[in-house]
Amino acid sequence: MRVYARIAALVILVISTSLAQAEIREPDPGAALDIMRASGEGYPITKPGQPIHFPEDHLAHPDYRIEWWYLTANLTDAKGQAFGVHWTLFRTALRPGSDAEGWTSHQMWMAHSAIHTPQGHQYEERFARGGIGQAGVELTDTGQFDAWLDDWRLLGTAESPVPGSLTTTVNDITLQLDWQADTPWVLHGDHGFSQKSGQGQGSYYYSQPRLQITGQVIVDGTSIPVSGEGWLDREWSSQPLAQDQQGWDWFSLQFDDGASLMAFHLRQENAEPYVRGTWIDADGQSRSLGEGDLLIEPLEWGEVDVDSGKDARKSLPLVWRIELPGQNARWTVWAREANSWLATLVPYWEGPVTAEGSSGGVGYLEMTGY
Amino acid sequence: MTGTLVRLLRVLMTLLSHHRRHPLQTAFLLTGLVTGVALWSAVQVINAHARTSYAEADQVLGAQASHWVRSASGQGVSVEDYVQLRRLGWRSIYPILEQRLTTADRGVVNLIATDLLVLPGDDTAASSGLPEGGWMRLVTPPYEAWFPETLAQQLNLQNGDRLRLNSGTELPPARLFSREQQGLRAFMDIGAALTLLDRSRLSYLVVSELSGDAEDRLSADLASLNPQLRLVANQQRLDLTELTQSLHTQLAAMSLLSFAVGLFIVFNAVRFSLGARRHTLTTLRELGVSQRLLLAAITLETLVMSLIGTVGGLGLGYGLSQLLLPSVAATLQNLYGAVLDYRLLVQPTTVVQAWLLTSAGLVLALAWPLWRQAQRSIQDQRFEPAQWQQDAHARNRLLLGSLVLALLAAVLYFQLTSIAMGFTVLALILFAGAGVLPWVVALVLRGLQRALPESAWRLNWACGEGLAQLGTLRTALMALLLALTANFGVDSLVDSFRTSLSDWLEQRLAADLFVQSDTLDIDDLLANPGDWLIESHRRNGLTVRWQNRPTQIRGLNTQTSDTRALPLAAETDRASAWFEGDPGVIFANEQVRYLAGINLGDTVHLPVQAQTVAFEVVGFYHDYGNPTYQFYLPHERVAGLWPTAGEQGLGLWLSGGNDALAQAEAALLEAGARPGDWTRRDDILAISLRVFDRTFAMTAAINALTFTVAGIALLASLLAIHQQRLPSYAHWRSMGVSNPEWLLIAGLPLGIGLLLTWLLSIPLGTLLAGLLIYDLNVLSFGWTMPLIWRFEPAITLFWLTLVVAGVTFAISALQVRLRLPQALKHLGEDAA
Amino acid sequence: MLRLNQVVKQFAQPDGDVTVLNGATFHLPAGRSAALLGESGSGKSTLLHLVAGLDSPDAGELTIDGRSSLTMTNNDWNRLRRDRLSLIFQQYHLVPTLTVLDNLQLQARLSQRLDAAFRDHLVDRLGLGGLTKRLPHQLSGGQQQRVAIARALLHRPALVLADEPTGNLDEDTSERVMNVLVDLVRETGSSLLMVTHSAHMAGFLDEQWRLQHGRLNQLEVPAL
Repeated sequence: MRVYARIAALVILVISTSLAQAEIREPDPGAALDIMRASGEGYPITKPGQPIHFPEDHLAHPDYRIEWWYLTANLTDAKGQAFGVHWTLFRTALRPGSDAEGWTSHQMWMAHSAIHTPQGHQYEERFARGGIGQAGVELTDTGQFDAWLDDWRLLGTAESPVPGSLTTTVNDITLQLDWQADTPWVLHGDHGFSQKSGQGQGSYYYSQPRLQITGQVIVDGTSIPVSGEGWLDREWSSQPLAQDQQGWDWFSLQFDDGASLMAFHLRQENAEPYVRGTWIDADGQSRSLGEGDLLIEPLEWGEVDVDSGKDARKSLPLVWRIELPGQNARWTVWAREANSWLATLVPYWEGPVTAEGSSGGVGYLEMTGY
Repeated sequence: MTGTLVRLLRVLMTLLSHHRRHPLQTAFLLTGLVTGVALWSAVQVINAHARTSYAEADQVLGAQASHWVRSASGQGVSVEDYVQLRRLGWRSIYPILEQRLTTADRGVVNLIATDLLVLPGDDTAASSGLPEGGWMRLVTPPYEAWFPETLAQQLNLQNGDRLRLNSGTELPPARLFSREQQGLRAFMDIGAALTLLDRSRLSYLVVSELSGDAEDRLSADLASLNPQLRLVANQQRLDLTELTQSLHTQLAAMSLLSFAVGLFIVFNAVRFSLGARRHTLTTLRELGVSQRLLLAAITLETLVMSLIGTVGGLGLGYGLSQLLLPSVAATLQNLYGAVLDYRLLVQPTTVVQAWLLTSAGLVLALAWPLWRQAQRSIQDQRFEPAQWQQDAHARNRLLLGSLVLALLAAVLYFQLTSIAMGFTVLALILFAGAGVLPWVVALVLRGLQRALPESAWRLNWACGEGLAQLGTLRTALMALLLALTANFGVDSLVDSFRTSLSDWLEQRLAADLFVQSDTLDIDDLLANPGDWLIESHRRNGLTVRWQNRPTQIRGLNTQTSDTRALPLAAETDRASAWFEGDPGVIFANEQVRYLAGINLGDTVHLPVQAQTVAFEVVGFYHDYGNPTYQFYLPHERVAGLWPTAGEQGLGLWLSGGNDALAQAEAALLEAGARPGDWTRRDDILAISLRVFDRTFAMTAAINALTFTVAGIALLASLLAIHQQRLPSYAHWRSMGVSNPEWLLIAGLPLGIGLLLTWLLSIPLGTLLAGLLIYDLNVLSFGWTMPLIWRFEPAITLFWLTLVVAGVTFAISALQVRLRLPQALKHLGEDAA
Repeated sequence: MLRLNQVVKQFAQPDGDVTVLNGATFHLPAGRSAALLGESGSGKSTLLHLVAGLDSPDAGELTIDGRSSLTMTNNDWNRLRRDRLSLIFQQYHLVPTLTVLDNLQLQARLSQRLDAAFRDHLVDRLGLGGLTKRLPHQLSGGQQQRVAIARALLHRPALVLADEPTGNLDEDTSERVMNVLVDLVRETGSSLLMVTHSAHMAGFLDEQWRLQHGRLNQLEVPAL
């Protein structure tokens, strides 16, 4: 669901009703998420009981309004310095109906590539229209999973994205990552249907929470070997959010003991946050966390540079408390780098976090709608 | 210090009080100044704006454009190649489709299209500079076509209207909106445009920036991707600046002429006021005001006037430039492919120049005469000869000056090397002609007086009255002469050009159908033509750089009837060798002769791969409307030397059969062409002439404005004349002169003056047209043509002059009628 | 010939109306000459303008050559001036670009009463012989005024109106011009009304009237 922010960017392109709104470095965060709440009329409806099929569902579902492929990774170099990577490819259908090849395609693509290095945070955003081959998710002639936009590319060794590799750039930095995983795909919610509100809105959502990554970061011609763990998300829907939801906070945490946690905290108007998640054992067994299984609350707010618009800084919750009362487990989760704001078409915060408490761990946090 | 200042101010106020007492004179002074500055600054604003636009020629639709990727075959770039380049990481490349469309009513609309999602820019291109509904409406059916307001007006389009094309296709609903560097073009999403126009290939790719070794790497990638693709540096900025220089010089010269005419009004107004101000000046001198103080006050007055003139003139000029811009923009786009923005800005240099020009003009027309008046000793002024006698002296001085100017013009003419010099000669001739005019009018009036029989005493009286009026009337007549001459000269030029162009087009556009298609399989079409086809002419070509300018090379079939009938402007006896396919000879357009300085028999070296090949120029052909150099070689020669030469169109001669056209169109479709890929001969002719007419609309507009200014000068003169002559008119009345008699005596001189002015404008205008056609046009554009002299424009101008004279005289006569009773009451009083 | 009956004329001034003629009554028989004396601004010239129809009275009546000002239109006045009147001013009002001959024939031609013999006679009497081909600026002031006099008499007007005709001339010239004017007026049988401020010049004429407080009073003619 993380990627909703990205999709929200599309909203601006698609639904923006005025030039003023399109000139959005200072967007109304609520309006930016309109596409997430827009009625999915004309598109297929996401509902429980639709089984997920591999490898077919790794590929695009062009009939659905929005979809993404989303990678985050916590990596270190030989000196133990931390790197964070997040790369995402979004697809959106501009209108319902069956798609066409060529310039008349309904699809539009967007990708973000971001990296945290010891020198700081950098990111880049790209757009492409579908149908002409500039971006897409398909199987190659040799049967490999292939997701790309321009020269950014997530390529599987076979028809699944795992094992696979990512070739991308962030401004002048080149990234080359390879991965494989020992644990199975995790289907969130009800066999892959992840409900996002009390009114039934939701998405199809599955993840690979334990990617074993090696690769290199190339800066100014110097190649820095890195390694660590990553998390790959797949999600698609036609109307994931309810009308009264303002934004969300999303966590992917990988604990030292091999367990993992996906948790989201949807902030709602006039109601308690909608909080759900998935607990994944070290052996890959997963369990959905329903109402009362999971507590999430902000502990400390901090100032964040947003480097655009009138407000150079924003206040965001940078330290969180996460508790699983049923397991008697609790963690404090804090952002490693406060300045992880992406002043993209739809701006949001996304960066690596550290967890301490019942067990130590690392992960990624996404905050939207602020 | 303070005392001096106070005295200076007091003197200044005394001087300026004149304007309060004679608001009409001041109004005319300012009118002349403001209109003159307005016309000049309008052109200046446009010129400066155009130059800024050229500086932006390294941008396309708001994004940088340092290089192009073009197909050497001239057939455009495939979408696959474009996407491959993006996937190789060439993110600074974006696709462009440019298409010249023919509308259902035979108009021409240029279309430019791109993919806003990939357009580089500071901001996310897709989000900035979009109208309501934004990008979404542009890319989803029924799509949208954005038209700049001016273009929409020309095409008579409202928001939501759909432009119907000749091919039957309709463009998407129009929206009145314009992007940067859209110019006078329609804008669409590239996907929508390709789909709608049934095209598959992009016109070219733009590379926004290439740093370091990127240029070499891109060239290498292009070579391995598709050997037809070429990386071409964008030199448009330089090319445009150079190519359009002549046009801007011409415009500037015309605007200076307008300014001069405006200055005549100022001069006029100041001269009339001198009489009234003489007393003030004398009194001030008698009161002991020093010459220095007087000079300072006059300078200050000039400054005040120049500021008012500059501000008013620039304001009016800015408005005027808005009106003229579409015409200039059309010219630049049609002729040079230069794209002008529609956001006009007055640049600081224009303001300063306007002020300097105004000040210079005022020093000449206001400060100098005032100062001379002030310098005259008080004694002198008591014994001043009658005004009309002074005028006679002034006329003689003017005549002498004119002769000097004419002599200078003759000397300069024989050393004519530049456009600026050409316009100097032109200005000298115009002013020499203007200077002769008062003398000629006086000569005729006096001759008439002498020749008239005793019985024609009223005419005799009118001639005498004419001589008395001439001093005041002469400036207006001179201004009118300039306007008439410019009008007649430019009309003759445009007439000649239009006739030559349409004759030339008739000759050159010999085929019935012209096909330009990137999908047509010409071999297939010509392999088994039906009986609808009589003859075909397939041309190839490419653009190279020669003499550091874009230069077209065209390959012609030497055997086709149109090539056989190719009219040459000049040729050597080896010209026939060209038709026989001699590989060493070449034809060049006249631009090569006059702009590049190549003579018949000279050898030119054209770039072939990394070397050059030498050709002997054995003929020059007319090539109107083309700003670039062009060479003709046999088709096979071009194909042999430049393997990358692409198709440059196909001419088809149809049989006389009733359904030949339908058969031809069917065959074209069969061979892969798409509707809209071919144009009928008559349509091309009509379109070309329409483009021509639009191109010269600006000229006509400036001429009309100059004429208006001259009309104002005339009105100012007549009002001044009648004011001056009012006591005489009163006296005539006291002798019982009736209204018709007054009309005859006071009006006939104007008629004679105008008639002579008109008559003189004919030879002068002819001279002007000759100079423009035989010298300036050749220097500017390299086009030669015969001067086609017609009397009709002169007749039109005659009626126009008559109307202007009638109106102005009626206004001034009305003024006399209103003021005469008062004048009669004061008859006999001391003339103060 | 000329009769004024209770003529009133006022002028609007910033500080109130000024009455220059206040019931002026006057009679000039045909063939007689009269001088009109008065202070500066007493309304002498105004009276002359009224007589010439160049201005109109506020009240009262003028009768000229048997015609009443009450019934005359502008055109009537114009025709009357052309055929029956003539005006002589201090400024000679010659057309500077016409010859002396053309100038002095102007009004006679306008009224179509050009008599070549009388013209030659006038040229002769006024001493303008030999000057007729010249232009006005080539003449002295006295000569120019004599041209103006010839122009005023050539069409044999019934009434000659003169406003300070010698105002620009020196004393000797003035006297000579006055002499010839009076002689010629007698010769043509015209009446003459002359405005002057000079009692000496007034002495050349048959009657002398003074304009004072808007009324006209005849002065005793001193014994010759």
